[in-house]
Amino acid sequence: MTYPSVYPTGATLYDPERCWNGYTVFQAKEVGALLIDMNGGEVQLWKMLHGMPNRILPGGFIIGSTGERSTAFGSQDGIDLVQADWDGNVVWRFNRYEYIEDPGEEPQWMARQHHDYQREGNPAGYYAPGLDPLTDRGNTLILSHKNIRVPRICDKPLLDDTIIEVSWEGDVIWEWVCSDHFDELGFREDAKNLLFRNPNWLQSGGGMGDWMHINSMSVLGPNRWFDAGDARFHPDNIIWCARETNITAIIDKPTGKIVWRLGPNYDETPELQQLGWIIGQHHSHMIPRGLPGAGNILIFDNGGWAGYGSPNPGSPTGFRNAMRDYSRVLEVDPVSLKIVWQYTPVEAGLPFPVDANRFYSPFISSAQRLPNGNTLITEGSGGRIIEVTAGHDIVWEYISPYWGRMLKINMIYRSYRVPYEWVPQVAKPRQRRIEPIDVTRFRVPGASPAGPQREVAVEGVLPYRPDAALCVRTDHDKDIFR
Amino acid sequence: MSRILFTAAGCARCSIVKKFMRGSGIAFEEHDVGGDGKERFGQFYRANRSAIFRGRDGIEFPVLAEDAAIRQGVAVIIGHLHAGTRLDGFIGRSGLSKGWVGGLHVSGGDPAAKDALVAVLGFLKKNGLKLQLDTDGRRASVLKTLLEQGLGDRVIMDLKGPQALYSALVGEAIDAGEVLRTMQLVTRFPEYRFETTVAPVRRPGGDPVAVSYLTPAEIEEAARWLKEATGSHKQPYLLRPFDPQACSEDGFKSVERLPANALFRYRSAARKHQVLTESENAPW
Repeated sequence: MTYPSVYPTGATLYDPERCWNGYTVFQAKEVGALLIDMNGGEVQLWKMLHGMPNRILPGGFIIGSTGERSTAFGSQDGIDLVQADWDGNVVWRFNRYEYIEDPGEEPQWMARQHHDYQREGNPAGYYAPGLDPLTDRGNTLILSHKNIRVPRICDKPLLDDTIIEVSWEGDVIWEWVCSDHFDELGFREDAKNLLFRNPNWLQSGGGMGDWMHINSMSVLGPNRWFDAGDARFHPDNIIWCARETNITAIIDKPTGKIVWRLGPNYDETPELQQLGWIIGQHHSHMIPRGLPGAGNILIFDNGGWAGYGSPNPGSPTGFRNAMRDYSRVLEVDPVSLKIVWQYTPVEAGLPFPVDANRFYSPFISSAQRLPNGNTLITEGSGGRIIEVTAGHDIVWEYISPYWGRMLKINMIYRSYRVPYEWVPQVAKPRQRRIEPIDVTRFRVPGASPAGPQREVAVEGVLPYRPDAALCVRTDHDKDIFR
Repeated sequence: MSRILFTAAGCARCSIVKKFMRGSGIAFEEHDVGGDGKERFGQFYRANRSAIFRGRDGIEFPVLAEDAAIRQGVAVIIGHLHAGTRLDGFIGRSGLSKGWVGGLHVSGGDPAAKDALVAVLGFLKKNGLKLQLDTDGRRASVLKTLLEQGLGDRVIMDLKGPQALYSALVGEAIDAGEVLRTMQLVTRFPEYRFETTVAPVRRPGGDPVAVSYLTPAEIEEAARWLKEATGSHKQPYLLRPFDPQACSEDGFKSVERLPANALFRYRSAARKHQVLTESENAPW
């Protein structure tokens, strides 16, 4: 989060031998769906195709949305979900979830899609061997919105999250409504009390509470837990996470009931305490079969501010009462709740906690496990995508050069790496190593060259101490975590 | 004839019944179940437990015992006192509270008793109760009268299905024009909605007669009919699941339930013509 005012964009690091090479797709702010190669070359832009997120399907297809509902009436409601081909022709569209008549707007059907969707054939929405998404048929799971009133949750209008399953023909054939499962969410009385009074109030549409803010949704797919007899992890079950409540949960597809849950509280068992308080997380999903770590839950634990509960000095009302100023990517065993792998400021080599906020995205973001064991991490708020090895080395880095004109940020909601074969329309690009720039020597035009023009010795000076103290303790101090 | 009226303290409906009886010169003996009539009602209840309806909010008062006959609820009692059994088809158990009276079945009664129905509903309305009517499309003329008299605050139309199957669904020959007129009348009430239960139907023409559920295409057709009849594709339209075990008709009790999620396909089909269609979750 500590950015200089001048820094490079595009691909900045690339080690072809250690990367899982392919194309990367993301939503370039206020530009469209952008497909780039490993050197940051912009292979194709689907101009102004919105996407929350965009995904490439085999054959060079892309999924996104043709637009977003006015925020005067909704919040993050995608008008539709479409699949377009390489040439931009829409080959599939869904919008018939709710008929919307916003004042001053043409009445229209809307999908009200937000944050996620999954096409049949592929559980988590990214490449896994033998689990290709269907491109010419199959159902699509869509995360959507619905406006509701549920007085026992809150006396104000609520913006609820729903998951719908839509046939290729566009029929809704299954629906899950989050508020129906309020009693299964594990809220304590203090959280319920606050939620009733402030359900994350938005001014949109005359006011409504975005009380859960589910921001990811995917299918578990085949996995070792179910194979071993644990019915909670049935391959058809759905995992989602909700930013405002710090909850990740798995629902049973036939009944809709929550059968596994992480959060909203992380102080109730020794295992949860060890895991630490997950805050405002994104993209919680089960790593698909065929990838290293398959069956574990991968989470971008944003930090930032989220949750409902008791007041504390940082949250006088208890609204968003959990806070942290750095992010973590966690790979968690869903049965033992042990962290199997993580990428945090510590693994990033940042002195903790004094420089921890240099790995920090308080909103959006994602993590994708790649077939060679690397992890593609989207540190979304700063528009940064990195590929890190299991040993935490950064082998690829890309900074989005697209700052919005209306919202001056180069954020990337989520990015996905796909195999070259999924885009047969273009030849596999040349992969050129990008050596890390020695930033201690790099100077922009007009700046003076590195190094002092003159050095002098001062008699009696001592060497700098390796245990020199800062104003606050760091992980160099042995007792910091005691 | 002995008439005993069991009332509850603070029960506005009990006061309305007493007012009607006194105004009509009908003698009765009153027992306040919360006061000195508590013991008497306890004895009465124990002796007639199976005949006394208990709803979600408890026993519906007032309760009228006329010799051996027991009647409950403001509309049923006043209807009976006013017209004997002539309104039995029109007026049934209400089940509603908070100022509303339901169980007013426009399609269920004898049109010849229409004037009596108007008188009873008029009395209820005049005494501050809100009237919820229901209809399946039959007796459009009765509904028209009630509309003109302002005797309906809410109406729920059970649109049985598409025109081609309507007679089979109701179980008698139906004039489709009358159903169409009802749909039009319904939209003129202050509050209304249309409902269709996705029910099994005896398919005409087969031997033996085949029984199968309405199909999504047939629900789509019903929605289209509703649009054509009312000139609107934005009617409040609810699809409801059919529970064979709760069905009064023995022939349908052995029909299998539709899967819990089956109604979504029906909803999608109906939304082609009625964009606000919703479906009720199956309790199973």
